[in-house]
Amino acid sequence: MKALKNLINSIDPHFQKGGKFEKAWVLYDGFKTFLFVPDHTTHDGVHVRDSIDLKRTMFTVIIAMMPALLFGMWNVGYQHYSAYGEESTLIQNFLFGLEKVLPIIIVSYGAGLAVEFLFAGMKGHSINEGYLVTGMLIPLIMPVTVPLWMVALASIFTVVIGKEVFGGTGMNIMNPALLARAFLFFAFPAYMSGEIWVAMDDSKTLVDGFSGATSLVYFDEGLAAFPEGNQVSDMFFGTIVGSIGETSTLAILLGAAYLVFTGVGSWRIMFSVFAGGYIMGLLMNVLAGSAFPGMEVPAFYHLIMGGFAFGAVFMATDPVSAAQTNMGKWIYGFGIGAFAVILRVFNPAYPEAIMLSILFFNVFAPLIDHLVIQRHIKTRLQRA
Amino acid sequence: MEHYVNIFIKTVFIENMVFAFFLGMCSFLAVSKTIKTSFGLGLAVIFVLLITAPFNYLILNFFLVKGALSWIHPSLADVDMTFLSFILYISVIAGTVQLVEMIIEKFSPGLYASLGIFLPLITVNCAILGTSLFMAERQYDLAETAVFSAGSGTGFFIAIVGLAAIREKLKYSDVPDPLKGLGLAMLITGLMGIAFLSFAGIQL
Repeated sequence: MKALKNLINSIDPHFQKGGKFEKAWVLYDGFKTFLFVPDHTTHDGVHVRDSIDLKRTMFTVIIAMMPALLFGMWNVGYQHYSAYGEESTLIQNFLFGLEKVLPIIIVSYGAGLAVEFLFAGMKGHSINEGYLVTGMLIPLIMPVTVPLWMVALASIFTVVIGKEVFGGTGMNIMNPALLARAFLFFAFPAYMSGEIWVAMDDSKTLVDGFSGATSLVYFDEGLAAFPEGNQVSDMFFGTIVGSIGETSTLAILLGAAYLVFTGVGSWRIMFSVFAGGYIMGLLMNVLAGSAFPGMEVPAFYHLIMGGFAFGAVFMATDPVSAAQTNMGKWIYGFGIGAFAVILRVFNPAYPEAIMLSILFFNVFAPLIDHLVIQRHIKTRLQRA
Repeated sequence: MEHYVNIFIKTVFIENMVFAFFLGMCSFLAVSKTIKTSFGLGLAVIFVLLITAPFNYLILNFFLVKGALSWIHPSLADVDMTFLSFILYISVIAGTVQLVEMIIEKFSPGLYASLGIFLPLITVNCAILGTSLFMAERQYDLAETAVFSAGSGTGFFIAIVGLAAIREKLKYSDVPDPLKGLGLAMLITGLMGIAFLSFAGIQL
């Protein structure tokens, strides 16, 4: 660590204004602050700052995503081998998943960061840290069979249209990772739905009765249509098909605990998303009729199926695109959960609704905040 | 009753005038800089729609469609005057907007000043003419038309207030110079459109 610091201090002057590599300052600064908390002092405005800066915060989120990522890698292998009826060890499963998932992560980071560096260089400020998390979230919400060029395209789209046009990190109105997925979902529907969740190998034969679709599609047909294999415990522990990081509710809850413990993720939002989904699910059960068989699916199924938990923990809590006021967070989270369940049950076009539900409430988060603040002003005035 | 609720929800969310048909764009983009004015404009649009669409329904069904005039004299049963529908719809809308203008000027001069030219321009707001045309095309009856116009007004209201809240939040953002103002507003509209796509496919 000491040697690294000395090295950085010795090459530092070359990258400052007037130095040999002045043009590459953005690149250098990005990597330097990646490793160490920057030593420069403030010139104006707030002078007392926490050493937990944006990069450190982002790393907390990445650590929180590790359980979901590691489990996702294992599950990619597990689903692959069980689709062909082969025995496999834990290490085999994991290595197979690593081989499939790592390229997606590398492409996501490579494409996204390249655009980030380009914009930072053009605008003359240091590199935005926000993409550290986005670049990891994008692979986690992709199906494992997604073509790599689509990952690159989505990353570039979301950095440019979702973030940089608004002025970069901290200014975007929608969660960039979800926007990337929504972009692919609407632009290339054939690659983003159906039997795409298991990495295939054409040289082998599939086991009988293999179905590569997620259990979310059975919402249209009701509880009776759920296949035998989809046990509640499977859905909770995550040995089901789905996007890479979304399947295991347990792994996601581990990450959620870490986020809440460190204070990086908002427990209000997480809790209210789950509460909103559960209450709406119960309401559906009470009102269940024959027109929509999905209404009779037990309420807690909604919470452990598909990307609901992942969206609640990692997507809805995005501090930039979520509501900022405490009261607003409750409304925002509750709305996301309830709306996701409504869409799952009533909209047969999109079996997975949590993505669109979060995007929808991202759009209205500023309005929710505005209304909450106006109400505060009103009550304060009355009290005065 | 359920039928009318369905029409309302459908026009507010699933077939939102702004995000599904991209109607009423000019005032949607131009008057969405602050929440206060967009709130006023949204209410004005709802009010104008609530009057014009049912009124146009009456005009269409008692004067314009083939055979509508037979209540005056049986010999007029063959007259089809639907070619006049556009000009009559617009006249009704223009008249109503005049009324709204006078009301707002009287009761809220501040709002009147901030809406500026866009208040009289509601006359040519395509969302309003569009509502009357959709009403004719889908052959709604009077009650359905009233619900439909309330729904499309509410849809416009939600859209413009939502956009205004986002734009107020973006006031402090470091937006690239070429995109400031309208350019960014159009991009936001597109992104909001993606969010509203979540309703596409719901059958009511």
